[in-house]
Amino acid sequence: MRARIIYATLVAGALAVLVYAVPAVAHHAFGAEFDPDAPIRLQGNIVRVEWVNPHSWIHLEITQDDGTKEVWMVEGGTPNVLQRRGLRRECLPIGTELIVDGYQAKDHSLTRANGRDVTFTDGTKFFLGSSGTGAPTDGAETRGRANPARC
Amino acid sequence: MLRNAASFLGLCIAVTASGVVAPAVAQAPASTSGDWVVPRTPAGHPDLQGNWSSATITPLQRPRDQGPTLSWEEVEVREGRAANRLERVSRPSDPDRGAPRAGRGVGGYNGIYIDAGDVVAKVYGEPRSSLITHPADGRTPELTPAAQARRAERRESRSQFGQYDHPELRPLGERCLVSFGSNAGPPMLPNGFYNNNYTIVQTPDHVVIMAEMVHDARIIKIGDGPRLPEHIRPWMGDSWGHWEGDVLVVETTNIHPLHRYSGEEMKVIERFSRMAEDAVLYEFTIDDPSTYTEPWGGQVPMMALNDRLYEYACHEGNYALSNILSGARYQERMEAENQN
Repeated sequence: MRARIIYATLVAGALAVLVYAVPAVAHHAFGAEFDPDAPIRLQGNIVRVEWVNPHSWIHLEITQDDGTKEVWMVEGGTPNVLQRRGLRRECLPIGTELIVDGYQAKDHSLTRANGRDVTFTDGTKFFLGSSGTGAPTDGAETRGRANPARC
Repeated sequence: MLRNAASFLGLCIAVTASGVVAPAVAQAPASTSGDWVVPRTPAGHPDLQGNWSSATITPLQRPRDQGPTLSWEEVEVREGRAANRLERVSRPSDPDRGAPRAGRGVGGYNGIYIDAGDVVAKVYGEPRSSLITHPADGRTPELTPAAQARRAERRESRSQFGQYDHPELRPLGERCLVSFGSNAGPPMLPNGFYNNNYTIVQTPDHVVIMAEMVHDARIIKIGDGPRLPEHIRPWMGDSWGHWEGDVLVVETTNIHPLHRYSGEEMKVIERFSRMAEDAVLYEFTIDDPSTYTEPWGGQVPMMALNDRLYEYACHEGNYALSNILSGARYQERMEAENQN
């Protein structure tokens, strides 16, 4: 396993931004907590999961190029939404290796970031966004329970 | 949940009487079968109980170039677009990707985290272009000059502080005090992000509405009784309900001044009725002559949620607020060091 932190390059960032359709707000304003001028890429293994509201937090241990280890906290979505998408806490075993790209907290003394895109090492999504709402019908759509648990 | 509701009731001390506004146009159900009858509680009232979701892609306000309803072709386009959005953001990413780009306008969160809904709001089978139905343009009316002056005064007052100077200057949702937007209400409006889910529980003399977002519980007293004095203003106000035929009519006053919609003279009238086996029609009117130049309101279909509501223990895990405040302090330190 090779874990690393790589700060943004404009070229990679320009490619990355094409991939996402990202709303600007959630429980709190993104720009209030995270620094848009500090994009970050993390690769490491899960050492702890906090399945809590208002946001889930995944703790990743990363190994830097000099061999030292550092634990980063990565902010994810609200557990209620993730749970409805079939992702339960048990889906996040300790030791799983992930790649995260996002933005560091404005307080750069903290090793915290938002997880804009969280994937396994082959690029498949960690948080998978199947809708869970069923197909649109004539106005009497019942929501929920469309997706079985993913693990 | 009932235990939570009961404890909340103790805190709320809600009390106030009823009044009636009838904003909505009743229409014959188009989405229900002919033999469906409104289910009733043992007390004989329409049974509104269950888990419901108001998530929708229909906006609160109507775009100025649109009429009040959508064609079915437009519905198909909009719902197809919404369905495709999640599919797009679920596709694998490049494992060799770098960090995202820096700078302004980078957006916020991954769309996977958002569950704003993917259906157009339909009322008795009629697809709507906005949730607001009155005034006729589907938009919130102008503020009165007095309300504009109050807002200017509030802006002026806040301008003496930085927005990150103190936790009490941060938005209510960020502080886990009440749901952001007006999820818990009144009026109970979809927030455009997630957790637009409710549980309704009825007894003959109370109706409790639990909003999943920030775990807010509204206690609505049925009947008549002493209202709260003017200076006592719970977050979700003082709500009293009564039945008009098969419609639960709720009048709320005394809404907290920091709430999304509030005013000293504001009265919110809500109407709850069963539209179909799998739908409750929620209607609201905001009447506050000291704030708005005319009353306004709308209709929101609440669709059956085939799921449970989850807890939202917001305070316990609220890293965000401390990160926000420490981020501001960090930036202040950096600026100070750069000046030295």
